[in-house]
Amino acid sequence: MEIVFLNALVNGILLGGVLALLAFGLNLIFGVVKVIHMAYGQCVMLGMYVIYTLKVIYGVPLLVASAVSVVIMGVWGTLLHLLVIRPLLGAERLNQLLALAGLIVVFENLAHVIWGADLRGVRVDLPIVSLGNVFLKTSNLLAFGGALVVLGILYGVLHKTYVGLAIRAVAQDRECATLMGINPGRIYLLTLTIGGALTGLIAAFFSPIYSVHPHFGGSFTLMAFIIVVLGGMGNLAGGFIGAFIIGVVTSFAAVITSTEVAEIVALTIFILVVLVRPQGLLGARRAR
Amino acid sequence: MSLMLEVRGIDVFYGEFQALFDLSLEVRTGETVIVVGPNGAGKTTLLRCISGLQPASKGSIRFLDQPIHRLPPHRIVELGLVHVPEGGRVFPNLSVMENLKIGSYVRGARKEFRKKLEEIYELFPRLAERRTQLADTLSGGERQMLAIARSLMSKPKLIMLDEPSSGLAPMIVTLLLEFVARIRSQGYSILMVEQNVRKALSLSDRAYLVESGRIALQGTREEFSRESYIRKAYLGL
Repeated sequence: MEIVFLNALVNGILLGGVLALLAFGLNLIFGVVKVIHMAYGQCVMLGMYVIYTLKVIYGVPLLVASAVSVVIMGVWGTLLHLLVIRPLLGAERLNQLLALAGLIVVFENLAHVIWGADLRGVRVDLPIVSLGNVFLKTSNLLAFGGALVVLGILYGVLHKTYVGLAIRAVAQDRECATLMGINPGRIYLLTLTIGGALTGLIAAFFSPIYSVHPHFGGSFTLMAFIIVVLGGMGNLAGGFIGAFIIGVVTSFAAVITSTEVAEIVALTIFILVVLVRPQGLLGARRAR
Repeated sequence: MSLMLEVRGIDVFYGEFQALFDLSLEVRTGETVIVVGPNGAGKTTLLRCISGLQPASKGSIRFLDQPIHRLPPHRIVELGLVHVPEGGRVFPNLSVMENLKIGSYVRGARKEFRKKLEEIYELFPRLAERRTQLADTLSGGERQMLAIARSLMSKPKLIMLDEPSSGLAPMIVTLLLEFVARIRSQGYSILMVEQNVRKALSLSDRAYLVESGRIALQGTREEFSRESYIRKAYLGL
């Protein structure tokens, strides 16, 4: 039994790495543009279909397909901003939320029409690594390592470059940022593009692990949203910690009971956080 | 002296409410001009309009012979007109150094960031001590200092200060206005809105009195201090 738990713990941590990347994207978009990208997991789903199509149908090598997915989903994020988010920037919060939630239906049905309802998987045979009694899939390890590296790079960009500082400045005080010579419109566009490219990258990490279907993204949107709320909306460090908590908790719940119950547990945590500590673990300080 | 900033007959509205009426004002190169007046007179609105945050429905604004009243704020900063908003609005979750760095965001200022930073740390040793601290942890006076220092990072030609002394203890106010005097002596042009009329007047070349969105009075420092209305209402003499 202990071995089962140890496996659950390690796999939970590995899952947490990728969830952290997912939550980072959602958090960044919320923090900067102040909209909740309700169809974020669905973008990952589309990215996985891009990889599937390139790899399985056109025989493109997986790495190339993954790189293309990052680019295509980045462009997808740009378009999403120009066509949906930007026109709604001045609109009521509720309308923004409804429009972005509407995208869930649009993206899922789009996938349905193009690729059908069947499970589509990229066949990759990667060895399983064993550390004593703990068994790890190489694909999970790669996803975990890749996610941490990317998070590290993003952290560096946000803290060391002018464009990163500009993104953080706009998130904290948009008006004051414009007085520094920052064009907030460009920062919004860039944020959605980065957020989109991240969904393509997460799709690349997920492809060797999961098969995709049109409703694949739903549980990940939910998971990312729970993590972001748990960590404090807009708080990137909080999201990072939250991702590992949710990763480990759902992994344990899945081992003890089933994956369906794991989602119930995750949602219960979400409700408890909203009730007890609505500002999240590391509640984001309000920009004045 | 050549004209640096020229505001001609601007009207500004917030919805139905008119905040500024046919207001004109100018700042010449190297001048320090102060704008005084009661709360709600439209002083902040005036600065917001000049920096592009609030559109004027009528009139024109020229900076260095170029019309700027239709430019967005980020373009106006690039021209060398920087606005330090009221209350030392620094970015709370950026460190002191990051706040200064973002001040040098505009094209042409980035290359000299290191050099400028050293100058600023020399001018404001307190900021050097706190360079790694989050701006959120600074006192009100330090924030205001940081906001002013940050504006200098963009290599401005004209600095607009909105009530730098507001909400600060009298000792800190004196210190801050000393900094303004020092910046002035370095050759920057300054347009400053200030409640503290006596102190602000002493470091100005010219002054405007704004009341209910209109220029009620204008003149050189000497003319202004002699005016009996100013002496009674603002200088308490």
